[in-house]
Amino acid sequence: MIVVCAPLRISFVGGGTDLPDFYRRHPGRVISTAIDKFVYVAINRTPLIPKISARYSISETVDKPDDLQHTRIKAALLDLGIDKGIEIGSFASLPAKTGLGSSSTFSVALMKGLHAFKGNKLDKKETAEEASRLEIELLGEPIGKQDQYAASFGGLNVVQFNPDESVNVDPVLLDYKKRLGLEGSMLLFFTGITRMASSVLTEQKSNIDKKFETLKEMAESVHDFKGRLLAGDYKGLGEMLHQGWLRKKSLASNVSNSVIDDIYGAGINAGAWGGKVLGAGGGGCVMFLVPEGKKPAVREAVARIAKEKELKDFQEIPVKFVQSGVEILFNGDEMKK
Amino acid sequence: MKDFITEFSKKSIEAIENLPHEEIAKALNILQGVYERDGRVYIFGNGGSWAIAGHWVTDFNKTVFSHHLGEHSKRFRVSRIPATEEELTAWANDIGYDMVFAGPLDNVLEDCDVVIAISSSGNSTNIIKAVEVAKKHKVPVIGLSGFDPSNKLNQIADVKIHVPTPKGEYEVVESTHDTIMHLMTKYFKNYFDHLVEGKQGNG
Repeated sequence: MIVVCAPLRISFVGGGTDLPDFYRRHPGRVISTAIDKFVYVAINRTPLIPKISARYSISETVDKPDDLQHTRIKAALLDLGIDKGIEIGSFASLPAKTGLGSSSTFSVALMKGLHAFKGNKLDKKETAEEASRLEIELLGEPIGKQDQYAASFGGLNVVQFNPDESVNVDPVLLDYKKRLGLEGSMLLFFTGITRMASSVLTEQKSNIDKKFETLKEMAESVHDFKGRLLAGDYKGLGEMLHQGWLRKKSLASNVSNSVIDDIYGAGINAGAWGGKVLGAGGGGCVMFLVPEGKKPAVREAVARIAKEKELKDFQEIPVKFVQSGVEILFNGDEMKK
Repeated sequence: MKDFITEFSKKSIEAIENLPHEEIAKALNILQGVYERDGRVYIFGNGGSWAIAGHWVTDFNKTVFSHHLGEHSKRFRVSRIPATEEELTAWANDIGYDMVFAGPLDNVLEDCDVVIAISSSGNSTNIIKAVEVAKKHKVPVIGLSGFDPSNKLNQIADVKIHVPTPKGEYEVVESTHDTIMHLMTKYFKNYFDHLVEGKQGNG
């Protein structure tokens, strides 16, 4: 058995600039942090059971990878030439499609684990590259690369996507006081609305020409965000998030909707400095940066809207930032070297 | 006598004034990650650096938590390797002195771990061999070295904590490495104190 763990992430600024249609013309840049919510992938070698078994929200047992419904596991197995005698299970701290990068986090843990199954060790960069290759090249998903890097590296980083496909991960070296300060001013709510990132990103992708200048500003604003983070200017960060969210909304018609707008507006009216919807938009989580003392008011205002709109899965998600990225927690497999 | 003392102090002060802040910060982040994931930290060095490694073990395993020893859900898991003189002499005598760190390290390294290698010259063969083992396992290496920045350890370590001095200034390099170890000890001590006392403060 091999058990792999990788963190989800909160992305602050620059989302969308990690799409190839943008970064091949101008370097893309995002700033994000890994959080203490995880995806786990467990892989078991079954030499006496010549099947492929995948257990996630459903359970599949098939004779060959081609018969799998799970597109990522199927593509990964075919690519790595693993044809039978394997069980793969996935586990997570949160439901899928919350906007916290869970689907790429799964790919990161999966690729790390499957390589270990073959006796190969991957470092963080190699793992991010493998997960990106799986999703973007092998499956042709219209997504960017920021989540694969966030989940592999862990910590709070500026990630830059260069036109030649290279990626730089630059850790933001916050001391614990500033890290805890940012954590302490943050409120995160799951709206209970789930969406596929790809549906929003497809429209966003087709708009890249029109929105090129907006995306360029978003990529540039990452430097300013990092500066304010290092200065511990949480109010300034909140205001930047607010501007970023307004810009992001202009990128695709379905980034927001009236429920999201109402929740966001309620938080701002109750005293939050700013915030954003996490992920490609259209649902998922709403995050706010809130001054000390305003948290109860923001919680109450947001919960009231959720109740009005009958969002039955709405809940607050307490988060801590983590430094750790993808790791093999346990490897008892015979191919371990 | 006075001139000698002034001269030595000057060199030590200069070394401390030029600490590689960013690399030290990166090392703190990596150690934070290892703590979160309950990984192990393995430290080694020769002679005086071996002594720094031992001191590091004590300070990280116990001192950083000592104001609230029983109140943390987990503590650092730091070891100097090899763990015993028996293991050290067995590798040295049977295989060769070059393998005293690399051999034992290869037994224990897991994906969540981190390695701290200490060498003033940065060129000790047994240190470099052990760093190569860590590289094979894709485990991050924090390298503390001195003298010339082109030394091997400083070239291959993931985090390059280098104290630039003329060749042979072991005393200045080792005491600066000690200062860096104490800086990291103090950082985590304050952090762990803050975690417990902050909570108490919030009632």
